[in-house]
Amino acid sequence: MKITKKLKTLLPALVASAVLSLGFAQTAVASKWDAKMSPDEVEATLDKKFAEGQYSPKGADSCLMCHRKSEKVMDIFNGVHGSVDSSKSPMAGLQCEACHGPMGKHNRGGNEPMIAFGPDSTLAAEKQNSVCMSCHKDDKRMDWNGGHHDNADIACASCHSVHTAKDPVLSKNTEMEVCTSCHTKQKADMNKRSSHPMKWAQMVCSDCHNPHGTMSDSDLVKPSVNDTCYSCHAEKRGPKLWEHAPVTENCVTCHNPHGSVNEGMLKTRAPQLCQQCHASPHSGQPQFGNTEQGSTVGGNAFTGGRSCLNCHNQIHGSNHPSGKLFQR
Amino acid sequence: MKFKLNLVTLALLASAGAVAPSIAMADGYGIQNANTDKVKFEKWDCKRCAVETGYSGSIGVGVGYNDSDDIHSANAFAAEDEFAGKVDADLKYSGKSGYQASIEADNLGMENGSADINVGKAGQYNLNLNYRQIATYKTDSAMSPYQGVGSDDLTLPGDWVHAGSTQDMTNLNASLNPLELSLKRKRAGLGIEYQGESLWSTHINYMREDKTGLKQASGSFYNQSMMIAEPVDYTTDTLDAGVRFSGDNWFTALNYNGSMFKNAYSELSYDNAFSPTFGAQTTGYMSLDPDNEAHTVSLMGQYVAGKTIMNGRVHYGQMTQDQDFNTSGYGYQMPSESLDGKVETTGATLKVVSRINRQLRLNASYDYNDRDNQTNVQEWTQISIDSTTGQAAYNTPYDITTHKAKLGADYRLARGHKLEGGFDYRKDERSYQDRETTEESTVWAKYRISAFDKWDMWVKGSYGERDGSEYQASEWTSGESNDLLRKYNLADRKRTQVEARVTHSPIETLTIDFGARYALDDYSETEIGLTESKDISYDASVSYLLTEDMTLTAFYNRQNIDSEQAGSSNLSTPNWFGVVEDQVDVIGAGYSYNNLMEKKLRLGVDYTYSDSNSNTQVTQGITGDYGDYYAKVHNVNVYALYRATDKMDVRIDYKMEKYKDNDAGNDIAPDGIWNVLSFGSNSHDYNAHLIMLSMSYRL
Repeated sequence: MKITKKLKTLLPALVASAVLSLGFAQTAVASKWDAKMSPDEVEATLDKKFAEGQYSPKGADSCLMCHRKSEKVMDIFNGVHGSVDSSKSPMAGLQCEACHGPMGKHNRGGNEPMIAFGPDSTLAAEKQNSVCMSCHKDDKRMDWNGGHHDNADIACASCHSVHTAKDPVLSKNTEMEVCTSCHTKQKADMNKRSSHPMKWAQMVCSDCHNPHGTMSDSDLVKPSVNDTCYSCHAEKRGPKLWEHAPVTENCVTCHNPHGSVNEGMLKTRAPQLCQQCHASPHSGQPQFGNTEQGSTVGGNAFTGGRSCLNCHNQIHGSNHPSGKLFQR
Repeated sequence: MKFKLNLVTLALLASAGAVAPSIAMADGYGIQNANTDKVKFEKWDCKRCAVETGYSGSIGVGVGYNDSDDIHSANAFAAEDEFAGKVDADLKYSGKSGYQASIEADNLGMENGSADINVGKAGQYNLNLNYRQIATYKTDSAMSPYQGVGSDDLTLPGDWVHAGSTQDMTNLNASLNPLELSLKRKRAGLGIEYQGESLWSTHINYMREDKTGLKQASGSFYNQSMMIAEPVDYTTDTLDAGVRFSGDNWFTALNYNGSMFKNAYSELSYDNAFSPTFGAQTTGYMSLDPDNEAHTVSLMGQYVAGKTIMNGRVHYGQMTQDQDFNTSGYGYQMPSESLDGKVETTGATLKVVSRINRQLRLNASYDYNDRDNQTNVQEWTQISIDSTTGQAAYNTPYDITTHKAKLGADYRLARGHKLEGGFDYRKDERSYQDRETTEESTVWAKYRISAFDKWDMWVKGSYGERDGSEYQASEWTSGESNDLLRKYNLADRKRTQVEARVTHSPIETLTIDFGARYALDDYSETEIGLTESKDISYDASVSYLLTEDMTLTAFYNRQNIDSEQAGSSNLSTPNWFGVVEDQVDVIGAGYSYNNLMEKKLRLGVDYTYSDSNSNTQVTQGITGDYGDYYAKVHNVNVYALYRATDKMDVRIDYKMEKYKDNDAGNDIAPDGIWNVLSFGSNSHDYNAHLIMLSMSYRL
């Protein structure tokens, strides 16, 4: 779980800089029982307590006898998880103990473990998450188990907060910071010469990826790469009369959607990119660019301007009856 | 066949779920498994539950001054003009018995503004209205002699001097006007969600997006070309609706997604700036992206049987396009007036994850995806673009079928030691391609150690091999092509990837993170084409809570991507070679100081620098290079947030962007290439500043 500790140091700063307020997120502290018990002992105790079902005599009122002084605890009532009017809210059911497990003897000095969440909890992420997942079961989260973040032992509470009016990770600016705190390659990508407008959070990771997992590769929100791209680039969907097969097959054959040193998020610039697949007498000639013999890269139509696209403009396909060569 | 099989499997799963007894969610503390026999709910009054009703949140306004002489800075600042204004809001109303409403607005009024309004009753229904704008800017100084920019008819001035070469177009410089290449999306949506008392919920979302602006295009005649501005005026309507049912150990969802795309322009006509050559064409016509529709229905489900979770999805989609062909300047007979194009997509996925014991979990999945282009194959006469006469050609509707299978396991050797491994297989079958079938097998493993206090580290490696059916390089190419060519998306490939990451927290408040990646794509059987691509990168970051009020973060990344390719100038064995070397550096740092001036002031600064660089060399006896190609960007954001009163915050933001890029191939005058009439140099070199003062008021 330490991998997510980064978020613990990062989130408070983010929350404060992303929104126009002086709301300061509080950092969690390790639980009292962690000093006396090993993580295995904690887990065994929690398993036993959960099976025994020794819930408190008065529900939340029992818990709040001690915990009402904590602002963070009371913040649960600002959010949906503290709503007493919704039958789907934990507060309308087993209340605090819906998530934190049966009280048992915890009220006698707070030494007996309760189910704790977040980066400081020693409880296995899978166990923590089983609580959240038992209600949050829908088509956007059903692929959590065995998914990318599940395998990396990310706890729901590593990114999400419920003891708050508003979960900071659901804000666009915070989302980018949270995702890229682990996905550093993508963080670098979005700062390259060209990328989708993620650097300024006009687009965010979750526009294309579902962090809770999907049945598609890379947890894309649509069944395939192209379906995902078409959800914003519908003009490229066609079908057009003349298709450029690698375009139709997979946009990432030529583009890196996270960013590239080249314009247009191209993996390589024309003409090299085109010449990786085209080697006719017309397309297979070496294009030297600047040479000591006097030719310059900007001096001819093969390397200057838009290179191959100077003529083959309709590289994503053409619907003109005479568009086979993607010129019209 | 497999599609049907999975549909049946899914139906079985769904029906089994409806009658099966409630079985535990895999090992955990799920609410369904809670032992509530002893709970005396009648005494659970929740008297201390401090649920407040009424209004809460904050609303703010901001005004900014933007100092920039290049529209490109609007990508960073979301401001086009000298002055900018914005509204931010985060308002919430909580009523009695669960009624609630919220208004969120972010940068509304700026070019990246968004808003979200929700009204409903918690856990029952919600009505959502939303708005979002995305704008991207390329340049405002693309130079063009054309008139009618923004329309679908581009004409040259009456006194235009046609010539065989751009240098002889004597009126060119006098006719040039700058144009702005930028694209703006405006999205507005409406959604309704309803949750039944138990078991089911449904939603319907509608969104309209208008995308407008200009994008760069090229119109050509034989070997002469003009850069032109293509008008973009797209409207896309998206409808998304679904119904979900769930029980203790099962879940199913039926979804529909429809997308209707309309382009206000179907054709772009442009005057020939050159003296007419073949066919004596004085006007060119380009077909713009045609109107199209796509509809997809998907059914997905989950069934949890003890410690085994099974997920399935089937989907069926249709993409259609039937816009009338543009026949301006096309004098040949056509087999039909429009394409009547139709593509069917079919997919099925089945995934099983099973926890065998506390240590071991297994997973397996199979995925089938089919794109079947059912468009008729017909004969289309091609306009001659060179001295050969008009030739007939047949369209080649592209089909692809993909099968993917994955097997994996994760094993906890001990607390804090986890080993994962797996085998991925993929097979693609394509139509009208040099190679009908490719198959790829990949093995991978990952080992993670988090057992040591203050350390977390993992290493992952994978190796994959792709091969396939016989490669026939010239089978579908109309002209002659080199038989040794292996297109990189079809070629044999050996892919090796290694990645490692170490996170160290020497003290509670400090985290240091280091990662490195190596990836090699070796196209071992390729003689002509892409032969090798290597991607090496590493990064380091620090995040440090210096004091309770002071945070420091820093990030550095270096990446090198090198690719090698080979060609032949005489349709034979390789005799020229190309090397492309990309290098990227990204540096980021942030500092914030909180609770200054009696806990009323927060100061912060964020800085990012990125340097993207690419170098291309081509060798055949002599070696040529492609000159400078880089983008160097500095971004600074300094802010101060002051709590003026209990209710009021004042914030000042200063943003700076120093941007410089170059592209030697485009660093040219409009007449810099004899047969390309270009937009001129489109490099950027600017310093831009934005100062924004905002106030927010807390309810």
